[in-house]
Amino acid sequence: MSEIKALEHATLKVPYEMLNKRFRSAQKIIDREVDQVTNVSRQVEKALECEGPILSDVTKLMGNVAQKLQVLKRKAEESINDELSVTQICKRKLEHLKGITPPNSVTGDLWQGSVDQWKRIRLDRLVIEHLLRMGYYETAEELAARSDVRHLTNLDIFQTSREVEDDLASHSTTKCVLWCIDNKSKLRKINSTIEFSLRVQEFIELVRQNQRFEAVKHSRRYFPAYEKTQLNEICHVMALLAYPSDAEAEHYRKYMDPQRWQQLVLDFRHENYRLFQLSSTSVFSAAVQAGLSALKTPHCYAQTCRNLNCPVCQEDLNRIALKLPYSHCVQSRLICRVTGLPLNEHNQPMMLPNGQIFGQMALPDITKDDGTVTCPVTNTKFSNPKIEKVFVM
Amino acid sequence: MDNESWACASVEKDLTRVVTKLEQLHENASADIGDIATLMSELVKVLGKAEQAVTTLNSSTQVNATPASVDDPMGDGVSMQVETEPTAPQRLTERQMEIIRDAIVKCNDRVQKLSTDHRDLHGSISKIGKAIDRNFSADFTSTMRVDVLQNEENLMLLNKAIAKHYCRQGMDEVARTLIRECKMPENHAQDVFDSEREFAAIYSMWVKIQKRDLTDALKWAKIYSQQLSDRHSLIEFRLHRMRFMQLVSYGLDSQREAICYARMNFKKFAVRYEHEIANLMASFIYLPSGLENSPYKHFLGQEMWTELSFIFLKDACQLLGISKNSALSVVVNAGCTALPALLNIKQVMQSRQVLSMWNGCDELPIEIDLQPEFRFHSIFACPILRQQTSEDNPPKKLTCGHVISNDALHKLSNGHILKCPYCPVEQNAEEAVRIYF
Repeated sequence: MSEIKALEHATLKVPYEMLNKRFRSAQKIIDREVDQVTNVSRQVEKALECEGPILSDVTKLMGNVAQKLQVLKRKAEESINDELSVTQICKRKLEHLKGITPPNSVTGDLWQGSVDQWKRIRLDRLVIEHLLRMGYYETAEELAARSDVRHLTNLDIFQTSREVEDDLASHSTTKCVLWCIDNKSKLRKINSTIEFSLRVQEFIELVRQNQRFEAVKHSRRYFPAYEKTQLNEICHVMALLAYPSDAEAEHYRKYMDPQRWQQLVLDFRHENYRLFQLSSTSVFSAAVQAGLSALKTPHCYAQTCRNLNCPVCQEDLNRIALKLPYSHCVQSRLICRVTGLPLNEHNQPMMLPNGQIFGQMALPDITKDDGTVTCPVTNTKFSNPKIEKVFVM
Repeated sequence: MDNESWACASVEKDLTRVVTKLEQLHENASADIGDIATLMSELVKVLGKAEQAVTTLNSSTQVNATPASVDDPMGDGVSMQVETEPTAPQRLTERQMEIIRDAIVKCNDRVQKLSTDHRDLHGSISKIGKAIDRNFSADFTSTMRVDVLQNEENLMLLNKAIAKHYCRQGMDEVARTLIRECKMPENHAQDVFDSEREFAAIYSMWVKIQKRDLTDALKWAKIYSQQLSDRHSLIEFRLHRMRFMQLVSYGLDSQREAICYARMNFKKFAVRYEHEIANLMASFIYLPSGLENSPYKHFLGQEMWTELSFIFLKDACQLLGISKNSALSVVVNAGCTALPALLNIKQVMQSRQVLSMWNGCDELPIEIDLQPEFRFHSIFACPILRQQTSEDNPPKKLTCGHVISNDALHKLSNGHILKCPYCPVEQNAEEAVRIYF
């Protein structure tokens, strides 16, 4: 499986879901307007059916038809244009993904350069997605602007979610309810309970403000819809009505905890991912972990063997990688610790008397003109030592 | 590679189809609906005119009570009706009704067609979704055994790595915004800028070397002269050599300066680079005819400068204990190489129902084929046991020079006698030496 096929599902799936959504809403708009037109045209037909239709009435009705048709035309054009603009987003992302495969005309170094560039952009894209998921919207925006990759990211869908999250964080359900209505059919399809949670929270807030009568009204209005699936929870919540507002009971405290809002933000985020078929972890975090594992060796955790260029040897990443699996290796791969070059038939592994192995090409670097060899690892000095060749299969 | 372009191409094909259909629909909506809308307005206009004519007529009959002869746009029918029933509301003629009925039927057809046509797009659109699902894998998370990035502390460390990465590229503002947004503790934040400040300085010298300006780099090398020579770094001499050749290349005018420079700076390298220095000084011979035509001409090419700049970057980073690629970019790029391979093996294990093996060990199930530049440590896998060596089972060199693991050595030896598995030499197993890669 290639990198693109394994990692870029979300890159394309998100704009696809957007297209799908636009399509649905376009269909809804068109159908509504078509209904309007057929309604007024039916009125005309009805008018014509009666005995001796009156000219002025029919003219007026026909005027309505003409007007509705104009509206339909305008709205249909607008909606279809909307759909087309989303297809453009899909297209741009596809173009970018195709960038990793070489066109036939370019070869060699030039090609390597463009792959490096592509990878740099990919890193920016992945980081931006990660930042968005963590809720660091400003950083994401800034980075997207600085590295000019906005058109390749899903910043737009996160922009809406940011507004909803901010709203929830300031203890208001308005925007999130609107979002639920906006995505009603899809949310039902994925069996989301987010709207119920919002209604429960609204109920809790009414109880908190001691507007118990309002709370009852609220519950009558919204809870019956969830009777089948959430009856248990509804009963628990309704029980709040029975407690005094300063109750210390565990049950009461659990629901009155302001932390619940924070949980709602997280729930919302999660539902939003599901809506766009995004997985719950980002490609970035999967890549970071797989990358750390692929680079992690026991050497990274041995004080003497650290390599400064190795990311896993660096303090912070070293801590993150602690619980990740080590890389696997069935074929020896040896690297000279002085030159960083691989040890092979062109750079034979040589052993100093203390058992330390270095590449043949490193020997001039560690040998002084008087024949003294200093082991770079242990700093031991050997004068004219016997350096033996080592054979690694 | 083919696979990738094929995946993209198949999605693109479906996408293009939808775009074409949408464009067509847009055109049709404008044309057909526009057409019928115009027709309707025309009809309304005509009907309106007819009505107007009659109203004028009626009012004139009422006011003036004289029979009128009005020009009737709708034909005889209207005027006939007017004449028979002057005060009653105007009625439509059969012909008018027919025209209107036709128009309404046409209108209904067209709007219905628009709705159906648009609805028919649904099939094509969901094809895109299916093409995406078919060609791209949605589930990369399954490759993770433990998700260490659920941990708050680790996430903060990752934020730090991100901030460092952007600091390195001179995007300090991005790093600063991130630090503010993720509420990074003060000590971490300080560390971000401190650790990358050193690199930023080196980075600017690196850029300058490529532009053939050695001043800063030479100053730096002078400061770290002792450490550099302790590490057997060639960079200080290389920098001086380059500067010297640069002076020489200016021609006879700067000959004096070049000689002074050599006297000033080559002294401390005299022992180690005696031969090389002699070589350099000989370049004066060719000065009159120009260096371009001499054995020294390679000093003039840009490649030498680029190479020098990279050696400088490497040695300077090594000396300062910082790495030359950002850790984040190395990790993520390695991860992007590893993930597809891990997904593949996962699928195979799933189909063979040996998935439980995945969770059993603390190593990845397969070797990830990383580019050589991503290999930072030697790993010795015992060729006999096919296992990586460790502290408990270290590599040992037999007297014949072949290396096997300690466990393999014990398994192969018979008492003290060991026959090397790779060559005919028989030896004492005790004489094998522990080695370090």
